[in-house]
Amino acid sequence: MNYPFWDIEIGYGLLMASIAIIHVFVSHFAIGGGLYLVVAEWMAVKKNDSQMLDYLQRMTKFFVLVTVVFGALTGVGIWFIIGLLNPAATEALIHHFVWAWAIEWTYFGIEIAAAILYFYGWKRMSSRDHQTIGWIYFGAAWMSLFVINGIVTFMLTPGEWLLTGVFWDGFFNPTFWSSLVLRTGVCVMLAGLFAQVVASRYGPSDFKGRIVRYNSGWALAGLAIVVPAFIWYISQIPSDITDTAREMMRLPMNSIGVSYWYAAAIGILLVIFGFLIPRRMNLLFASVMMLFGLAWFGSYEWFRESVRKPYVIQGYMYGNATEVANEEKYREEGYLPQMGYRTGDDGADLFRRACRSCHTIDGYHPLKPAYNGTETEFIAGTIRGAHVIKGNMPPFMGIEAEIQKLAEYIYVRMDSRSIAEIHSLYGKELGQKVYDLRCGKCHEFGGFNDKAESLVGLEDEDYHDLLDMAGDLAEEMPPFTGDTAEREALIEYLRSIPEGGN
Amino acid sequence: MNLPDYNFISVPLWLLSSLHILTLTLHFAAMNFVFGGIVVILLGRINDRWNNPAVQKLIKLFPTAMAATVTLGVAPLLFVQMVFPKQIYSASIVSGWFWLAIFGVAMLAYYFLYGAAFTKKLGRQALYLILAFVGLVYISFIYSATFALTENPGLIKMLYAAGQSGLIINPDVGSYLFRWIHMILGAITVGAFFVGWIGRDNEEVLKAGKVFYLWGMVSAMVLGFVYLFTFGDFMLPFMRSPGIWWMTASLILSLGSLYFFFKQKFLFSGTMLFVSLLGMIATRHYARLVHLADYYRPEELTVKPEWGVFFIFLVSFLVMLAVIWYMLHLFFKRPAK
Repeated sequence: MNYPFWDIEIGYGLLMASIAIIHVFVSHFAIGGGLYLVVAEWMAVKKNDSQMLDYLQRMTKFFVLVTVVFGALTGVGIWFIIGLLNPAATEALIHHFVWAWAIEWTYFGIEIAAAILYFYGWKRMSSRDHQTIGWIYFGAAWMSLFVINGIVTFMLTPGEWLLTGVFWDGFFNPTFWSSLVLRTGVCVMLAGLFAQVVASRYGPSDFKGRIVRYNSGWALAGLAIVVPAFIWYISQIPSDITDTAREMMRLPMNSIGVSYWYAAAIGILLVIFGFLIPRRMNLLFASVMMLFGLAWFGSYEWFRESVRKPYVIQGYMYGNATEVANEEKYREEGYLPQMGYRTGDDGADLFRRACRSCHTIDGYHPLKPAYNGTETEFIAGTIRGAHVIKGNMPPFMGIEAEIQKLAEYIYVRMDSRSIAEIHSLYGKELGQKVYDLRCGKCHEFGGFNDKAESLVGLEDEDYHDLLDMAGDLAEEMPPFTGDTAEREALIEYLRSIPEGGN
Repeated sequence: MNLPDYNFISVPLWLLSSLHILTLTLHFAAMNFVFGGIVVILLGRINDRWNNPAVQKLIKLFPTAMAATVTLGVAPLLFVQMVFPKQIYSASIVSGWFWLAIFGVAMLAYYFLYGAAFTKKLGRQALYLILAFVGLVYISFIYSATFALTENPGLIKMLYAAGQSGLIINPDVGSYLFRWIHMILGAITVGAFFVGWIGRDNEEVLKAGKVFYLWGMVSAMVLGFVYLFTFGDFMLPFMRSPGIWWMTASLILSLGSLYFFFKQKFLFSGTMLFVSLLGMIATRHYARLVHLADYYRPEELTVKPEWGVFFIFLVSFLVMLAVIWYMLHLFFKRPAK
């Protein structure tokens, strides 16, 4: 809370992803592509294959323009964006891992120099020296991955480091090796898929058939590493993290299943167009395979980022930059006294600190659909119980007066009409809407924290009693503050739910 | 729960500051080559410039120099964030959009430099170079404005209270305008050195380099003094800090570099220029400490040494230098195959 808050309409997650995802695609291609080029050059020189050498030379230009410029600068972009979006987490990471980053920078320096010399060296260097530079490029690029992998995996699985604070405990954390193997596989796979796009531009010929088969071999080899490594990676994540994610966030966990379909689709397309009818490989099919590859990688990255919720550094700092170590201080003194930068509007400052990293009022992950038609008391109740709501949110650790201020700040920005009026609903449909808004964030029929069993055999009167004492059922549970029409509609809806909730 | 604290530095402050100053000097040298080089090429008196082989050689070198600029810029940003995180992040958040745009603009400038180097239509080179130059001017301005803001935490708080959407550029223009122009002129001076050195066999290009080196240095010195006089109450503490010694040494070295440049002793001139640049960056470092003294004293940071991993960095750094030297050796050792 030592920093100002960058309050923008675009969602933080979206902004981060727009730079980071592009960077990880390009940076992994930069590593695998380096290996691809030098191995292909070695084979082409051995076979005196001038056609292949010409193709590789062309590909190097594309490779350098994409990786050295775009890859390097989106990497710098990540530095800029993380400092703006979560300076506290960036500060923590820099202080603990400054020398890891500095080591990575030295490999990055070698990588960039080697890429440029490899590009300009095609025409002026002996093939042996040229290949030496190619191997140096790949070695440095992979070492750069090795180091960054330690920091990225640390954020999800800091392991023993939380107890010891020792650099090596954090660096060689539980998911370090599985992630390294997985990412190495991704590098190889993306190299084959990117190269396929370049090869697809050639007209049908024996040469095209040859390079398409060669590229397919690369992509399949990458895929063969990726799939088992992914299973290994998931098995290395502590089960309390995956169990919580499974319970509270279905989408990222489902994305694991989807990723297997992507992998299967890539594999099938590679076998058909890569080996059975390689000459028919065209830009469309190559691009589709490429997109599947990127979608697979994107779903993995999304899973990794999502499963870490509500933390930005697991067990150490929440996504909204509140620190686990300061919990006691927050609970005793509140958030406001800890804020180094205030605007004079306490409600707005609290909203920014507690919610704004992931939510806007009516833009990205908006609050309006969740709170329109509700009351300050209800909103305050959900703030108190934020950490048990579906979606894995950080707890609100401030004091009661701050909860009230925050709830009021949110309330005045919501539609104050009744839920029935806003949605033009009545009867059972209104009841379902009321359930979704007032109950469904924590209790999902047939899903998250399902309470259908506890409703079996209840009569109208019991439902009224249940709603009357809702706020007393659990500390995190808000009271039922809807009007009579909502209450009646909700009961009508609940009575229509079949026993067991399905 | 006793979780590891992050309010510490893992080597002594002097070492971290030295690494910052050294790597920032390397970054400036590469960046100034591009920035100043473009100015000399566009404005220098060179007949039929686009057909001049020395000019073409320089243009072909710009993308590589830009790659070096970007690569060498990462380390100083890392080290300075280690010592001044709260000041830097806070100032950059106030100007969030302008700050974030730096990397996009740098990417465009980079591609324009490649455009200038690769295009077959020589007439287009001027356009590409002008576009790249405009991008670099933007970056230098935002850097100057933001880093000047880091030295005024009171102003950051005031600006943040006035607007949180990152659309504010440091309004205290007086605190950085002269500094910015001084740095622009300094960049032209250093760029002119490279132009003269690389184009030393071409009379016109060498002459253009000399003209810009001389007048760039004179005007950078004048603006530097003007900037110094904007220090106001900070002048006295600055005069008492080691910054004044660095500044004096840098001025003497700059003049020495100028003398040897006109004598075409480029090794002496270049070495003196590099040390002078390093001295100017050290001067800037002390000026920052003086400005922040009432708010923040980095010497009070807790030091928890991590020598093992630092040693690995040191070895990696030496390996980087050795490997790059080896690759250059391979690259230049033989003619075309």
